Amino acid sequence: MKLWTAWLFLLSIVSVVAQSSSDAKLEKFQALSHSGPVELDAAAFDELTSKPRDYYAAVILTARDVRYGCAMCREFQPEWELISRSWNRGDKPDGLNVVFGTLDFDQGRMVFQKLMLQSAPVLLLFPPTSGPFAKVEEGPLRFDFTGPLTADQLYSWINRHLPEGPKPPLVRPVNYMRIVSAVTILMGVVTLFTVLSPYVLPVVQNRNLWAAVSLIAILLFTSGQMFNHIRKVPYVAGDGRGGISYFAGGFQNQYGMETQIVAAMYAVLSFATIALAVKVPQMEDVKGQQLAVLIWGGVLFGMYSFLLSVFKTKNGGYPFFLPPF
Amino acid sequence: MAHPALDVLLKGSSGRSTRGLLRIIILCTIAAAAVSSRLFSVIRFESIIHEFDPWFNFRATKYLVQNGFYSFWDWFDDRTWHPLGRVTGGTLYPGLMVTSGVIYHVMRFLTFPVDIRNICVLLAPAFSGLTALAMYLLTSEMTTSPSAGLLAAAFMGITPGYISRSVAGSYDNEAIAIFLLVFTFFLWIKAVKNGSIMWGALTALFYGYMVSAWGGYVFITNLIPLHIFVLLCMGRYSSRLYISYTTWYALGTLASMQIPFVGFLPIRNSDHMSALGVFGLIQLVAFAEFVRGFLPGKQFQRLLTSMVLITFGLGFGMLVLLSVSGVIAPWSGRFYSLWDTAYAKVHIPIIASVSEHQPTAWPAFFFDLNFLIWLFPAGVYLCFQKLKDEHVFVVIYAVLSSYFAGVMVRLMLTLTPIVCVAAALALSAILDNFLVISAPTPPAKTDTNKSDKVKKPIGIYSYFSKTFVTCSAVLYLLIFVAHCTWVTSNAYSSPSVVLASKLPDGSQYIIDDYREAYYWLRQNTPDNAKIMSWWDYGYQIGGMADRPTLVDNNTWNNTHIATVGKAMSSREEVSYPILRQHDVDYVLVVFGGLLGYSGDDLNKFLWMVRIAEGIWPDEVSEREFFTARGEYRVDDEATPAMKNSLMYKMSYHNYQNLFPPGQAADRVRGTKLPADTPQLNTLDEAFTSENWIIRIYKVKDLDNFGRDHSSAVAFDKGHKKKRAAKKKGPRVLRTE
Repeated sequence: MKLWTAWLFLLSIVSVVAQSSSDAKLEKFQALSHSGPVELDAAAFDELTSKPRDYYAAVILTARDVRYGCAMCREFQPEWELISRSWNRGDKPDGLNVVFGTLDFDQGRMVFQKLMLQSAPVLLLFPPTSGPFAKVEEGPLRFDFTGPLTADQLYSWINRHLPEGPKPPLVRPVNYMRIVSAVTILMGVVTLFTVLSPYVLPVVQNRNLWAAVSLIAILLFTSGQMFNHIRKVPYVAGDGRGGISYFAGGFQNQYGMETQIVAAMYAVLSFATIALAVKVPQMEDVKGQQLAVLIWGGVLFGMYSFLLSVFKTKNGGYPFFLPPF
Repeated sequence: MAHPALDVLLKGSSGRSTRGLLRIIILCTIAAAAVSSRLFSVIRFESIIHEFDPWFNFRATKYLVQNGFYSFWDWFDDRTWHPLGRVTGGTLYPGLMVTSGVIYHVMRFLTFPVDIRNICVLLAPAFSGLTALAMYLLTSEMTTSPSAGLLAAAFMGITPGYISRSVAGSYDNEAIAIFLLVFTFFLWIKAVKNGSIMWGALTALFYGYMVSAWGGYVFITNLIPLHIFVLLCMGRYSSRLYISYTTWYALGTLASMQIPFVGFLPIRNSDHMSALGVFGLIQLVAFAEFVRGFLPGKQFQRLLTSMVLITFGLGFGMLVLLSVSGVIAPWSGRFYSLWDTAYAKVHIPIIASVSEHQPTAWPAFFFDLNFLIWLFPAGVYLCFQKLKDEHVFVVIYAVLSSYFAGVMVRLMLTLTPIVCVAAALALSAILDNFLVISAPTPPAKTDTNKSDKVKKPIGIYSYFSKTFVTCSAVLYLLIFVAHCTWVTSNAYSSPSVVLASKLPDGSQYIIDDYREAYYWLRQNTPDNAKIMSWWDYGYQIGGMADRPTLVDNNTWNNTHIATVGKAMSSREEVSYPILRQHDVDYVLVVFGGLLGYSGDDLNKFLWMVRIAEGIWPDEVSEREFFTARGEYRVDDEATPAMKNSLMYKMSYHNYQNLFPPGQAADRVRGTKLPADTPQLNTLDEAFTSENWIIRIYKVKDLDNFGRDHSSAVAFDKGHKKKRAAKKKGPRVLRTE
């Protein structure tokens, strides 16, 4: 215990000596930043995080180049700039400085190796080693990105690890461009509609159009399209033998293409039903009617049989089937 | 052609009454089939309340029957949500309990000595019979075909989509709500068709009943205005619409405000604003119609356009202003998560955690509706062909509810009625044409003027066509019946309180651990012992063990649930103070590792962590429960946070001793377990059920010598094997 205090004491002496250099470092990086995050390379990273420092350093280690295929890195970049800008422009408590930096894999391969990072992006928050907010514990705090993230979530994480007190709020710039374009488009649509109403109105009032839209919507929804949308399922998957498997195994899984096939099956079945119920009885030709009944009834039977067989593959214990499939 | 004796029965006025009689007999048979197909669980197991929520409803009903209506209304329940309690009378939908209470008293009055439990168990099947009748009425309004209504009633009676929520014992709000939903829609269609105040008032009456019974009444609240709105947009305003809508809205809103839980929501909540908006709109349209009689066309057009623009702008502005200023509550979370499908996952983990709020994959649709699912679009198409006011209703209902059913599994329930209506329309259109024995005469070829657009159906000529189509339709219907029976028997008839499994010799083996454990609690613990468990089991503990609980399935207080989640997912040193602060006497966990029962607490554990993390992001972190590779493991490679969590320790405490050394395995997660059993310091194992599904632990009192529990346990153990304890024990035990 005694040794520990002595060591701390030593450290504080060192830090007092080094105070001036630390100040210079801070000014340098603040000048570099222009209120956005500082673009670092390996040397600058080492300088920024070297002891002593009387500021917090939040560095995101990322790989933005398309080559690395890190979609999250690219998506998060504007959010990261937003955090940095909000902080630098807002009101901060006295003496609390945070330097925001970005280290790209291209510039800082060494750092990634040194920290043994396998994945990107990773946020490291280095607490100060000197000054009023100095922390005793060694090493940076690490935030792993487990999924897509907004600036608010990361900012609240950073805030939790900063000392208590008021912090600048996250300010999203008002997107004037978007408002203006939305208004323009809206007015354009209204104008277009007024001008074209003699041509558009019959289309809007067309019963068949509405019927088609409703039926397509119903078919999409009942074939599990919303599940695809929410769960972000893959479109198709391989079957492990070089081919593709159209139907996912298991009752609670499905692929994008699978739902389209199912929707198509439902559509064929419905259409055959409509034909039998509405079109066939209207036919005047005796032979033709017989043929139509055979065709549509056959299509209905075959397709339903196929649907049952598909359902059987999804649900192993299902006991029912129809002959052909 | 027909037999002369039959002619007497089938033609003329006696024919009409014969058909009426037949119809009544058929409907009664359908109702009987609907009831009996829901009795699987009663026959297989016993007359028992199912699952989770029904246990609360059952408990509330018992309270109502014992204490009378007024004390039920004022009921403050201090045995749940300890130490907060719950104002139960004001936070539930009383329709279900009052219905069974009334039935109970009527039966008593008629001197039938029925047990309230049997009424509760059989309420859902009984109402499903009524639903089939309501379905017949609703569908008969849509078409002139005499068979469509009967088909729809039959479909509704046995389709698994509805059975899933109405088997015997599933004593939940939906049990009566679906009947009310269908019947309200029938009355509404009647009101729109006749433009009568009486039907409108009846709609409002049943709407009020519906509000008292189920939160899903919001569906009606939005669907009826939408129907009116679409009709107005189609230029179909008529005094019928005005009369029926204004009657329904005024009376229905007043009726719904009588329920304390709903209160002033109908005028303050965004969920209900569309009804109010359409009410205003229809006044304006009516006024415009009135003015039209006095003004020339051109001027009227201009007046109308400007009026529409001004009111729309004003109304929208007011709505935004009131929403921003907080007079109108924003959309409720559950409702909002229907539209923005990512909302719940980010903001309300407790909603996302419920399995019935998951999106629906396509097999579930086919599973619940079988061949109705492909007759459904055909029926909607037929509605488009006629497109009277009531058919517009079917179309809107169909599109909206199929969207909802796609987003949430449980909303399959609201989709089912309209699927039955549409499918019955399609199938009856086929059968009506193909079941006529007499062949039509081909029309004269010279008749070429086709001035009338809608061609009249002529009929089917050949017997072969008729036989072919009729036989295949009958085949599909038979498959449907077999499918429904199979699904009901296999998927929807398990009480989930009692589990059944098959022994190798094929005989049935009943796993009754839940009731065993709850009965143990009832018999062996003081009357006011507080039980902590994950919220899923709160209602069951309240209903079966009759002990106070910390949290239950009425998830009104997220923070309290997160507290329980934190206690479960933290180290013992953190959990114990939480348990003490909440007066917890016993902790109950569900563990399926021995039996391979997958619905256990360790599989739900991540939700506890997530919900706790939502409140205490510093102290609980989901990431710490995953290994470096991002796996959720319970074996040797489990993370320290996992191994030290109270939930893990309680689940596996002493479990290793069941097996030969080093052989312990978890049959749910399919992994081997660490050789050593986890060390529990602050809890004592009190009870473990036969198949280890329920494990109950008693929270230790404070140590007599003022030591912390870990050192007390270490001391007790230390006498025997001090060395061993020194080598590996202390790391876990050391505290400040």
